[in-house]
Amino acid sequence: MLESIVHVCLAGLSTGMFIWLVASGLTLIFGVLGVLNFAHGSFYMLGAYFCFTLLSHLGHNFWLGLILGPLCVCAVGYVVERYFLRYVYHIDLPYQLLLTFAFVLIFDDLVKVFWGAGSIGSPSVAGLAGSVRILGRLFPTYSLFIILVGPLVALGLWAMLERTWAGRIIRAASSDREMAAALGVRVPALFTAVFVFGTWLGAMGGGLAVPYVGLLTPGMGESIIIDAFVVAVIGGLGSLKGAFLGALIIGLLSSFGTRFIPTFDMFLTFILMAIVLLWRPQGFFGEETAR
Amino acid sequence: MSRTAVYVIYGLLALALLALGLWAGRFVLYLTMRVMLLAILALGYNLLLGRTGLLSFGHGALYAAGAYGLGLFNLHVSSDPLLGLLAGVLFASLISLIIGFFCVRQTEIYFAMLTLAFGMMFFSLIWNLREITGGDDGLIGISRAPLLGLPIGRDYQFYYLVLACFCLSVWVIHRIRGSAFGLVLAGIRENHQRTSFAGIPVKNYRLAAFVISGAFAGLAGSLATLLESNANPFAAHWSHSAEPVLVSLMGGLQTFSGPLVGSVIFIVLREIIQRFTENWMLWFGLILLAIIMGLRGGVMGGLEKRLARGRAAGQGGAS
Amino acid sequence: MAKKKMTRRDFFKAGLLTGAGACLGAGVLKPTGLWAAPAKVKGPVKIGYQAIMSGTLAGYGEFHKMGVDMAVDEINQKGGIAGAKVVVEYRDSTLKAPEAIKNARYFVDSWGADFLGGVDSSGQALALAPVMKQLGKPIIFTHAATEKLNEIEVFQKGIKEVFRISSPTYQDGNAAAFVAKDLPAMKWATISPKYEYGYTCWGMFKNTLAKLKPGVKFVAESWAPFGTTDFRAHINTILDAKPDGLYSVEWAGELISMMKQAAQAGLFNKVKHVMLPVGAAMDVLEGLGKEMPDNIWISGRYFFQYPNNKRNNEWVAAFVKRWKHYPAYVSETGYSSIYAFKQAVEAAGSKDAKKVIAALEGMKMDSPGGQRVFRKEDHQAVYTVPWGLTKTDPKYPFKVMGKMVVIPAEQFFNRPPFKGPESMPPFKK
Repeated sequence: MLESIVHVCLAGLSTGMFIWLVASGLTLIFGVLGVLNFAHGSFYMLGAYFCFTLLSHLGHNFWLGLILGPLCVCAVGYVVERYFLRYVYHIDLPYQLLLTFAFVLIFDDLVKVFWGAGSIGSPSVAGLAGSVRILGRLFPTYSLFIILVGPLVALGLWAMLERTWAGRIIRAASSDREMAAALGVRVPALFTAVFVFGTWLGAMGGGLAVPYVGLLTPGMGESIIIDAFVVAVIGGLGSLKGAFLGALIIGLLSSFGTRFIPTFDMFLTFILMAIVLLWRPQGFFGEETAR
Repeated sequence: MSRTAVYVIYGLLALALLALGLWAGRFVLYLTMRVMLLAILALGYNLLLGRTGLLSFGHGALYAAGAYGLGLFNLHVSSDPLLGLLAGVLFASLISLIIGFFCVRQTEIYFAMLTLAFGMMFFSLIWNLREITGGDDGLIGISRAPLLGLPIGRDYQFYYLVLACFCLSVWVIHRIRGSAFGLVLAGIRENHQRTSFAGIPVKNYRLAAFVISGAFAGLAGSLATLLESNANPFAAHWSHSAEPVLVSLMGGLQTFSGPLVGSVIFIVLREIIQRFTENWMLWFGLILLAIIMGLRGGVMGGLEKRLARGRAAGQGGAS
Repeated sequence: MAKKKMTRRDFFKAGLLTGAGACLGAGVLKPTGLWAAPAKVKGPVKIGYQAIMSGTLAGYGEFHKMGVDMAVDEINQKGGIAGAKVVVEYRDSTLKAPEAIKNARYFVDSWGADFLGGVDSSGQALALAPVMKQLGKPIIFTHAATEKLNEIEVFQKGIKEVFRISSPTYQDGNAAAFVAKDLPAMKWATISPKYEYGYTCWGMFKNTLAKLKPGVKFVAESWAPFGTTDFRAHINTILDAKPDGLYSVEWAGELISMMKQAAQAGLFNKVKHVMLPVGAAMDVLEGLGKEMPDNIWISGRYFFQYPNNKRNNEWVAAFVKRWKHYPAYVSETGYSSIYAFKQAVEAAGSKDAKKVIAALEGMKMDSPGGQRVFRKEDHQAVYTVPWGLTKTDPKYPFKVMGKMVVIPAEQFFNRPPFKGPESMPPFKK
């Protein structure tokens, strides 16, 4: 029983950290730009496909693919923000959602056109392919790696936002756009930069998903985007710290729920989401961020 | 456009729809019915989004409530279509009352996320209560018994029931928008604080708007169940909840006819695209993009601006 | 990527060939003499075909199309159906019932289809049945597996327009039990999809196996929602139950993910007998490649190695030559469905719906998958698909079937009147 609990816990942690990687970009973009980006799931998908393609071309070097793949997606993110999203910031919120939704449709089909409609089984990563024995049961090394990467990304983001000049500007712009502009911050350029960075985080999640999920399919972003939404909401929209905690909670809840409650269903996660929204819409660390 | 001109257009439209029932082929009738059902859903929805300023991502659940309400009633109680529709609409209203009770406590994106959460809970219930709902197979074998002695089994017969419901809905929603109640909703959208200072219980008004739009979603859902002879759980899924949003935005939020036009565009456009490509999502997405970028305020909003540039400049824009 | 490019170029070439073939068929090679069809049918025979072409399962649509396109080109090159050209139009069915219904109505009422085919989802198939009755045209389902379609919609409700050429859940549930009874496994568990298909198959498997092998125990069930990508908690459920055998009707991408994650968790070291009723799908075998372990029981609705006869082997060779892919089971069922219509139209001497339905009832046909018989009572094609153990074969870049177990379909297909235990296997005779 103990080994089961430990393993279910580890599985939950890896699920949670994996969702966190995707949710972090979503949260950052929402926190600064105030846009709930449906297309974030598409960036995740594109990240996965670009990584996969690059890694098949670059002599199966996963790490090189992981660095270059998301950069390609950043270019896509740049186009989306600079030439489309920028023009709808001032109109109703629903139009922004709709715009990102249009991109979901477009990217889903483009992936089909360029990479084919079928699912692609992806290779495992050299060096991280095996499993380690924990309490007599095997646990994938790559999942352990994901459990490590999650907090590292969180730390990196924290350091960037709290300790650097760029981070200060981002925080300033997210708490008061007009004031930041008045103080000489070039808000449009900043928004583009943040959007592209958020895109990079999403695409990175996709790249890391290649060996984690084990396959690529068009439309693969759709299931993860809902998980990421739930996590971002539970953490308080726009709060990175909250999203991290939210991801942990959702990961562990779904893992333990699946193992120990036979009738477990996403019903529970959505109840949790509703309770948080009603009780503390600003999330666990609500006062921290602006929106 | 003058008021008379508008009435003339609506009158002509109604006549054209009546005539369609007599002469059109079965597929055209079917598509027209789908357009009308979507329009009922979207018009009701726009009372909430366009009028009250609340973005709901849970209307799929309310549509499904109507569908399953009618379906279960039809299979287990009586196959009378009028009673069935009534059951569907009542059940949808009840569900909207429950969901709305919680959701109207928040606004903006939080309201949207709350409705999404409740909608997905409802989806999960339908999916998992297999004994009652048939799980993912849905409810099948729903029949169209005669309505007050008139047969509605054939499509051209059923068409007139849909048309009647559609006209009734258009009229009722138009009346609601123009009523004192409708004006209060618009007031809430523009400035809910000021409205509440005026002594108006804002939450109750929001809830009322939610339930009314839910009832229309339920009507659309129950009619669709009669049309397709089945109810399926994906109706409650968030991806279906996005449809009325899409339609309202495409047509234009701030116009009455926006959701109507949006429904026509949504269904006809997709039909046309699908005739020459399997990658319909790509083309649909591109056109959507063009509508958002080119005609902010939707097709009707944009049109209105162009038609009466001087007069409508103030009200035509979206923000 | 290089391989992908090849495929696209081949698509293009295939298109040119098709066009050329069609021109030739119409002009130079008017069927005469030996080629003349037995009866003339007016105008093209139009078949509306829908399958899932968007989203995560879009690969299935591609596989359907490969098979159907092949049948159409072959038939048209050889003079068409009773002298008439075959035309197929495709539509994306998605997974939603209203879409499937709209497509069917479009095909029949707007495009003027004579026959329909395709459909992957069981829910859609059940929703379509009454619509087909209303539209009055026959449809041959090529993938959706629910037994309710033939047992309730056709047999009980008498919807004559509905046929199915692919094997239903009997193959997944009943046939698996026949294989499992000879395995030294007494405790079984499952990870299966959390929807009707999963519940039905596992129920059937349990029911039949309990009858075949008294004393067998079913120790754990873990239901994975549609779209699950992370099976690690489910796998722990199975490991905790310590079963001898794992039965799973996970399919497509989800099966690929599950198998990879189960291997990482060492499940196959602890659970010796694993049965995957839809594991022999080509997307799964190709997707897993060498990561599919050996000695896993797999089956499907057709497998390209069976039957090992001239007809099938030639077809597989032609398929591989044209598409650079081995045929998936939906490719075979799609391909054969077009030939089923051809045979029925030629037998009926007309493409009139009623006559074709009458011709299809009880029709015997030869197909790459072997001989099929459309049962008169429930319109279900009865044919045999093997169960087999995976093995490594240097000839293929993926695992194939080594040892095969072939249970004749008559032994495990539920029988009319589909009521009571006499309708379910095992049968006395």
